[in-house]
Amino acid sequence: MLSKLKIALSTLVAGATVAAALTAYATTASAPAAANAAPPQAAMPAATAEPAKKESSSTADHSKFKALQVKFKTAPEVTKACLTCHTEAAKQIQKTKHWTWEFLNTETNQKLGKKHIINNFCTAVESNQKFCTACHVGYGWEDSKYDFSKQENVDCVVCHESTGTYRKVPGLSGHPTYKDMEYPPHSGKIVKAPDLAKVAQSVGKTSRANCGACHFNGGGGDAVKHGDLDSTLKDPPKFLDVHMEKKGLNFSCGACHMTSAHQVPGSRYTPTVDVNQGVPPHMRGKVDGSNPASCQSCHGSKPHPAKMAKLNEHTDKIACQTCHIPEFARGQATKMSWDWSTAGQLSPEGKPITKKDSGGHNAYDSKKGDFTWEDHVIPEYIWFNGKVNYTLRETKLDPTHVVKINSFEGSPTDGKSLIWPVKVFRGQQPYDSVSNTLLVPHTFGADGDSYWSNFNWDKSLAAGMKAANAPYSGQYGFVKTEMSWPITHMVAPKADALTCAQCHSKDGRLKNVQGIYMPGRGDQNKWLDYAGWTFALLTLIGVIVHGAGRIYTHRKG
Amino acid sequence: MLKIISGFVAALVLAGVLAYSFMSSLMFWEIPSPFGVEETAARIQQNIQNVGNGWTLSGLRNPAKAVEADGSNTLPVMMVEACSTKYSGPILKDDKVRYLSILMPCKISIYKKNDGKTYIGGMNAGLMGKFFGPMVGEVMGHVAEDQAKFVIFDASKPAPALIRGTPGAAGGAAAGGGGGC
Amino acid sequence: MTVEKIYVFKRFERLWHWSQATLIIFMLITGFEVHGSYHLFGFGKATSLHTISAWSLIGLWIFAIFWHITTGEWKQYIPTTDKVVAMMKFYSVGIFTNAPHPFRATVLKKHNPLQRLAYLGVLLFIGPLLWFSGWFYLFFADWNSWGVSKYVSLEWVAFFHTAGAFMMLLFVIAHVYLTTTGHTPTSHIKAMITGWEEVE
Repeated sequence: MLSKLKIALSTLVAGATVAAALTAYATTASAPAAANAAPPQAAMPAATAEPAKKESSSTADHSKFKALQVKFKTAPEVTKACLTCHTEAAKQIQKTKHWTWEFLNTETNQKLGKKHIINNFCTAVESNQKFCTACHVGYGWEDSKYDFSKQENVDCVVCHESTGTYRKVPGLSGHPTYKDMEYPPHSGKIVKAPDLAKVAQSVGKTSRANCGACHFNGGGGDAVKHGDLDSTLKDPPKFLDVHMEKKGLNFSCGACHMTSAHQVPGSRYTPTVDVNQGVPPHMRGKVDGSNPASCQSCHGSKPHPAKMAKLNEHTDKIACQTCHIPEFARGQATKMSWDWSTAGQLSPEGKPITKKDSGGHNAYDSKKGDFTWEDHVIPEYIWFNGKVNYTLRETKLDPTHVVKINSFEGSPTDGKSLIWPVKVFRGQQPYDSVSNTLLVPHTFGADGDSYWSNFNWDKSLAAGMKAANAPYSGQYGFVKTEMSWPITHMVAPKADALTCAQCHSKDGRLKNVQGIYMPGRGDQNKWLDYAGWTFALLTLIGVIVHGAGRIYTHRKG
Repeated sequence: MLKIISGFVAALVLAGVLAYSFMSSLMFWEIPSPFGVEETAARIQQNIQNVGNGWTLSGLRNPAKAVEADGSNTLPVMMVEACSTKYSGPILKDDKVRYLSILMPCKISIYKKNDGKTYIGGMNAGLMGKFFGPMVGEVMGHVAEDQAKFVIFDASKPAPALIRGTPGAAGGAAAGGGGGC
Repeated sequence: MTVEKIYVFKRFERLWHWSQATLIIFMLITGFEVHGSYHLFGFGKATSLHTISAWSLIGLWIFAIFWHITTGEWKQYIPTTDKVVAMMKFYSVGIFTNAPHPFRATVLKKHNPLQRLAYLGVLLFIGPLLWFSGWFYLFFADWNSWGVSKYVSLEWVAFFHTAGAFMMLLFVIAHVYLTTTGHTPTSHIKAMITGWEEVE
């Protein structure tokens, strides 16, 4: 009796185990749908979000300040007015990369920053300052003799004004235009001179549009450079950016790039790759050296609910961005390649020409060469540990190979790397074919040497290298280059994150990621598969033959 | 006898399984495109306009936009719509097969897949037509012949501009060209 | 020849057998999908189904072990060399000539000597191989905290797990076939359902 009870009891419990397990599965399966339906949660306090209405939470109304009710003739005059109250602001700015365009990577000991790097977009700043410094947070940087200590040359309003009328046009050395002008030249489009008093009175917290004035236009135009930063982020719909959607969380850039004393954290020169390792996630308000501009600083490193625990087990190998930014350039196309070697083709009349691709994007420009554009780009995926090495102007290169302008280091075994999505920007650009180094072209300028005025590489490169105070053999060629950009903005709604099978499949997203065993990707031992299936087949044939033999002999007997 | 019947049934089942697994590839086709989504669509539009036989563009749909408006993401997809009254006319005039207007206008879909490549998808008009009698069969056969020409590309020619919007679709004859058939 | 019936499989044993059979076959199906051999449920679903089946099987085994110990039934798996050769001869020759089965099942000895060896092999080799590798597979994320990441690689864990799965697949095929070799083709199967085995 007792044993029967025991058996019945154990049977019951075994059944319950199975049932419980199945129930657990059922809830797992339905979880994404349920999670999708959940309303967006307000994770951030309102103070860090961009004000949705004109009403400001500020205690100061700058339009009431006498110092700003002045007819300003030039922008530096505005700065002087700002500094009468904000006495330390210019000093703070002058310590930032936004001002110095210089950055020393202490890990690699490389001197980086716009001042030093040669990229494969517009290539280099040197000799082209008047043009490039439209995105300098200052005024008057025309050449290498610029005085970086003048406080009135700090541009306060470009980051703080809210009229949307203040525009720094390339070619004016960082000044806004003081009289209405046609820009781009011969385009028929007029850039109006801003009313500097109105601009000065409108200042407030830095909005997405302020940051975007430069960061959306990197590489010479809207959406050119990053792929995950462009003007669609001024007012992004939900599909494009779950954090910045106006009706949703409405984050400003500063919600993540939480700035203190004008030092904006979160630079791609030294990206924070794996917050799990070493540095704990940054808590807002806590004063430490950690980077608030990471997913983990708000979400932690185990962000998925218990039902999706398996996903939390992926966070030590895979960056959040890999799954949650399934494609970049989802708002509009981004530039994917730039071939300087084809620049200089002119019309029969000797005029520069432009061509457009099917989507209406600039596909050729005599001044710059050939371009390709793509939207909804599937990123390339790499192991990345945060260390970046640059091919600088003085770095020797191998012209028979594609030159990596920046190489992202990482490996599956260093314990610091995660699989990251990157935009790889490819192109061809001039290099010194004798000394095998990258060249600085002089592109912009009314002088006779600039490429855009005479389409002569010899003169342009000689002038550029002279301005950079660097040796040039006089012989140039074009070398293939690649530059990688970590993808981290434009986080998609969670329902759009990559699914398991998008990586765990043959020819999946991570098919080129080496050094890791992924089930479902076809990484398995081929010989074991051959042997296993062969033996299984032989066994099956064996039993069929055996069975047939039994039937046959049975009938006969 | 039992053997014959069981053999017949087995063959029937096999045929059924084969038909089921090949059905989608019989009714529809998919080919890779050497160009991006926009350029592929633009080149198909150009081919449609050049192929003659009364073909006009009826529209360009972007169903991905609707998904985005709903707050979600999908890879790019564009549908080039085209029509020729030379082919639609006879079918529309015959009461017995007028319901086939459901298949108009003729659509070709251009989309990106997760491998980052562009693909072109369409309906196998020739085979479909055969189900609806000799007249429809013949018309659809011609449609299929023309359709095949829509997707022959000459990469040496420059990329044409994509014709956006739905020319003629809204206004019928007034919008010109009878494009909205 | 007289046919008599003996009660060989008790209720728990039968329930254990069939739920284990279901789970193992299901784990083979889902496991080989995770492995990448075909698409059925989709990778994500196959993975969670496989994991859930694994936990269920662990639960089942805890009860089964408990049952075997408390009832003494574990003795059924003690290997014996007695009549092994006779069994092999029977399967390869005798079965075709209607020779008598060299083994007669009793309540005390319900498995024939070859069965005993096979089941013991499953219990002592294939099972542990699958459990051990499966356990590592399941807790891949904890290797760092266990301090084993230096010594274990997922590639080899997967290798052994797959190897075990293939062995289990071979066992299942052979086992299913051999159930038809009883007094009548269905008598073993009936026994596993009703508990009563027909023996000659």
